Amino acid sequence: MNDKPSETSRRIADELAACGVRLVASLPDNWLTGVIDAVDRDDRFVHIPVNREESAIGLCSGAYMGAMGCAALMGASGFMTVIYAITKINYTYEIPLFLLLTLRGGVGDHHKHHASNSLYLRPVLDAINMPYQIIDDPGDISAISRCYRHTRTFSRPMAVVFTRDLLRGGRP
Amino acid sequence: MNYLDCFRALARRRTDQVVVTSAGNSSQAWWAATHDSEASFYLDASMSLSTMFASGLALARPELKIWAFMGDGAFCMNPGMLMVERQMNLPNLTHFLVSNRVYGATSNALLPNVGSNDYPAIAHAMGLERVFEFRTLEALERDFATVMAANVAGHTFVVLEVEPFSDAEQKLEQPPFDGPELKYRFGRYIEARTDCDVFGYRL
Repeated sequence: MNDKPSETSRRIADELAACGVRLVASLPDNWLTGVIDAVDRDDRFVHIPVNREESAIGLCSGAYMGAMGCAALMGASGFMTVIYAITKINYTYEIPLFLLLTLRGGVGDHHKHHASNSLYLRPVLDAINMPYQIIDDPGDISAISRCYRHTRTFSRPMAVVFTRDLLRGGRP
Repeated sequence: MNYLDCFRALARRRTDQVVVTSAGNSSQAWWAATHDSEASFYLDASMSLSTMFASGLALARPELKIWAFMGDGAFCMNPGMLMVERQMNLPNLTHFLVSNRVYGATSNALLPNVGSNDYPAIAHAMGLERVFEFRTLEALERDFATVMAANVAGHTFVVLEVEPFSDAEQKLEQPPFDGPELKYRFGRYIEARTDCDVFGYRL
């Protein structure tokens, strides 16, 4: 159980910085606002709010070709809109991509309009053979660095998927 | 103006710019004009992401000048990209919007609202300041130096009004690279130009 979401956001930012991420492209999700705020206020990052999630895929892919560490931060719904961009750019050219997502529709989500993400987020990740790591406990935040290195080692995208309990705390 | 003539004119004026092309016609035309296999990234069929890709590269490598081509078909899919470009306002990025008023990569299928789309006005409305438009080869040849002026304050947006590819031009060769080969050719070129480390190891 996590009662300190701001501390969690800071630790996520620290973990990103530690593995060499410099550019963070983001679109908001209510669960991610703390992380986005932490990144935005942190001089270790160039934070680029984007107009749609696909733009984040393009930005991060280009930054990789310029040797800049990068991550794209988005909600589950946003991720569901970027399948073409990922398969076309990152799979075709074998360009690494590191995504930070939310496990919308997971247990504890209060919003029933995320029923589609509950049903299809993980099947879609599986359908495009995209590895992902769910992080539910603050003690597992260090997995971010390992997952980031995985994208670089295998020249493929990977996602870290945060739960509500991690980002918002508590288990009501 | 003729699409290929326009690209040949740009190729003649290119000095050390790194290029990112968009789907279909701009890749074909740039390949036909240059046969560049190292300093150009042919981002095939990204459906609007060539200038976002170029923006990431331009941010990462401010010492490089980047030209990014995009058809107006791709632009119509994601015009909000200009908000991001304006926000980043990268002085080393030039966005060429190649306006042929069709989806050139798909047999010149019609664009929505084609008669009314005013791309320079859209760019101005999103706050861009360095906006240029060329409708003839003569104007492009005459005024291109202004577009490429050194030490500009921010991002440059250039609309090139061209004719759609003819049936014969549609059969121009596509850049003959598989994705990973292009990644490594381009990435090694970037490493050599800037002494950065794209892939985590140097050959």
